[in-house]
Amino acid sequence: MTMRNWIQIFALLMPGLGLILVLIGSVVYIAIAQSFGYYALLGESAFSTEFWSEVFSRKIFSRAVRYSIYIGFWSAVLSVALAYPLAIWLRKPFPGSIGLGALLKAPLLVHGLVAAFLYINVISYNGLLNQTMQGIGIWAEPRRLQNDSNAFGVLLLQVWKNMPFALLVLTGSVQGISDDVLDAARDLGAGPWARFRKIIAPLTMSGMQAAMVIIFIGALADFTFQTTVGPTNRQSMAQLMVSFKSRGDWHSAAVVGVSLMIIALLGSALLALLTRTVMRGSPR
Amino acid sequence: MSYARLNSLLIVMIVTVALIWLAIPFTMAILWSLVDPAEPWTADKLLPPVMSFYRWVDMWENSSLKYALISSYSLAPTAAILGLCLAMPTAFALGRFNFAGRELAKLLCLLPLVVPPFITAIFFSALLFQLGLNTWRFGAIVFAHSILFLPYAIRILTVSFENVRQDHIDAARDLGASPWARFRVAYLPALKPGISATLLIVFIQSIEEFAIAFIIGSPDIVTIPTLLYSALGQDFVRPNAAVLSLILVVPNVFLMLILERLMRSANPALSSGKG
Amino acid sequence: MAAIGIRNLSKSFDGFQALSKFSLDVQQGEFLTLLGPSGCGKTTLLKIISGFLEPSTGSISIGGEDITHVPPESRDTALCFQSYALFPHLNVLQNLEFGLKQKRVSRDQRDARVSEVAAKLGLETQLSKLPNQLSGGQQQRVSLGRALVMRPSVILFDEPLSNLDAKLRDQVRVEIRRIQQDYSLTAIYVTHDQSEALAMSDRIVVLNDGKIVQVDTPEQLYAQPKTRFVADFIGGANLITGRVCSQTKENLTSVETLMGQIQTSHRINKSSENVELCWRPERAQIGKGPYCGTIVHRAFQGQFTDLILEENDMIFRIQTNNDRFRVGEVITFSILPDDVVVLEADG
Repeated sequence: MTMRNWIQIFALLMPGLGLILVLIGSVVYIAIAQSFGYYALLGESAFSTEFWSEVFSRKIFSRAVRYSIYIGFWSAVLSVALAYPLAIWLRKPFPGSIGLGALLKAPLLVHGLVAAFLYINVISYNGLLNQTMQGIGIWAEPRRLQNDSNAFGVLLLQVWKNMPFALLVLTGSVQGISDDVLDAARDLGAGPWARFRKIIAPLTMSGMQAAMVIIFIGALADFTFQTTVGPTNRQSMAQLMVSFKSRGDWHSAAVVGVSLMIIALLGSALLALLTRTVMRGSPR
Repeated sequence: MSYARLNSLLIVMIVTVALIWLAIPFTMAILWSLVDPAEPWTADKLLPPVMSFYRWVDMWENSSLKYALISSYSLAPTAAILGLCLAMPTAFALGRFNFAGRELAKLLCLLPLVVPPFITAIFFSALLFQLGLNTWRFGAIVFAHSILFLPYAIRILTVSFENVRQDHIDAARDLGASPWARFRVAYLPALKPGISATLLIVFIQSIEEFAIAFIIGSPDIVTIPTLLYSALGQDFVRPNAAVLSLILVVPNVFLMLILERLMRSANPALSSGKG
Repeated sequence: MAAIGIRNLSKSFDGFQALSKFSLDVQQGEFLTLLGPSGCGKTTLLKIISGFLEPSTGSISIGGEDITHVPPESRDTALCFQSYALFPHLNVLQNLEFGLKQKRVSRDQRDARVSEVAAKLGLETQLSKLPNQLSGGQQQRVSLGRALVMRPSVILFDEPLSNLDAKLRDQVRVEIRRIQQDYSLTAIYVTHDQSEALAMSDRIVVLNDGKIVQVDTPEQLYAQPKTRFVADFIGGANLITGRVCSQTKENLTSVETLMGQIQTSHRINKSSENVELCWRPERAQIGKGPYCGTIVHRAFQGQFTDLILEENDMIFRIQTNNDRFRVGEVITFSILPDDVVVLEADG
């Protein structure tokens, strides 16, 4: 390739990829710089690690880290665990399977905030669930289910929203396995379990890793579900970051933001590794 | 046939769960949006005692719904068109040239999808503060939206550019077509579904986007998601939230269905022409 | 005892009869080919033998044992797929030993069998490669090897050569036949390629519309096709109808056709009836003879030359080693009574 060609391609990439790199690059750069005391809006900007040590010493921060990891991990695992058998079941078309797939994927079209409203509406103090339970006679009086302290509501919403996404990804990779390959395994004496362990699981591993990581990052950094239906005595990392920022404490917000990115990276790598270990067919 | 029976049992089960999952919440939302304030919907009644469009009219006239609709539906098309313009050259380079590092470039284009949206939102607003642009809210949101959703736009348009057939371009040149005529006859037919799909996907994403609109837009600019968010928070009025939810979800479901059809027609196998 | 016994097998899919009342015995160590056009039921039959389909009615046994309802994973058959169906995430070695592991064959046994087969197929240097790093021919060999290590009672082939190029196909054809004979395997081979069937088989079953049309050795099938379908499907054939006129000598019958009188030494069941005759293009003897025709087309094929003749609005084809004939020439030829086959009406 000639110099001219390179310049041409560079110029073409500038408005698209170039802007992406500039925006994301400067966002990440500012976050890191602010976490070390630079770019102060008030007062002087100078290098300092005090924000890191200060934020790290606060109980609210370590609670938020644990809580966000809890939400991220279980959202990813539960969504994928629900979607996987469904994807395998829907691998071969049968009468009604297309409609069923569409029905299962419908939540993809619904905004997360709408989902949160629907959920609140159903579980609220005089909502449908309480009325039904009372009507059947299981509960004597309505219970307070909103903002439960175990964050089951958040997890439920995460699964509601992410299971269809996992199903989409996994259906793709499960359907990528040809019938002949499964028949060959069967012909060579592999029963249903062996076919799953040795053929389907390893061949769908990368799809599963992708689904796990994407759902994990999304749920780890959740703000809307947490602030609408999450427990009131705990904060997610994104929520903590926003609350620091709205108090004007940009440096602490930056420390939380950078930690969130690091946890997202490390957590994704660990989850991918974990998925691999679980899904790999037994070695010889 | 026990397998067939097991299968139909499973189908019935999943359909039931999916209906509880979807139909009941939505029915509740619709009913709540129709509750007339004349008489409250109490726990002992199956249906709201008085139903009317009072809430819809009231929300339209007495809340910021109108402004939210105007800002959402003016942000989204602007971001869509800007995004399309920004994505075109990159997609052209990725789709029509084979250069070293092309795969890396494609991968880097996905970056905005990996960084959590609230981090982008907060530190983009920090950037705006540093640049003294923090009052330029509408432009900032449009800019951020069009770049955040570039990964989708670039991906779709790259496939479209890959689908432009070299023999069509060569044939047009062979027959003496000018560059503009070549673009019209060889590029445009293959790009059309991709362009519509790009516009639509950025539009939908922009309508639904929350983090940027919430962090950068507040307090001046209200979009439908931020309005719904505040309706779910401190001033939770159930019928009002129901109205807002339906306004956010219904048009988008239709747009998404259109998008899916467009994407299917942008599929390489279908749009690459004959033989 | 027959290695495989198929009794009155029928299979229908939603009203479409893929196989009807099919019966066949396959001998131990025999190479049997199922030949027929697509949709004739040959693949359905193979899938029933391997266990992936259950017959609607009828039974099937291997080594005298009824296996009609035994699932494929418990059958002592090994199938070579048209698509090879190699496991894409496993290397060649892991592909080869997959079946042995499922059968819990001891490690020593496993290693011995795999290395023997790998040596036989020339795969020793490829063992650590993944399938997508192999050429088509090598993938084909792995798929064959994966079946061979199982030492099955029956090995089944589903058009295994259709994805190879012509030259490789000829080579692998010989290889499969050699290995089948070395291990004296019972093999059932499905193909729609008549030359493959003729070159490899001990016996050929010609199928059409889910029914057996003819079962014979390749030589018999070629020399004495039973029906017009078989004659047409295998090799080139000149077909002509005529009226039986007389029994000339003790074994010869004379038939009146548009070509003139044709004599055949084959038996005709009922006399004074219309019959259909068939003769092979290469059996015509050019020179003096009762029949003649004008050459309207000539195609030089290397080892022989194809000539298309026209006479009395009839077209026929003859093949000769002589490449000096030209379009427009009129030639005369004869056909020996032994080479004229009398066909039955198509079933």
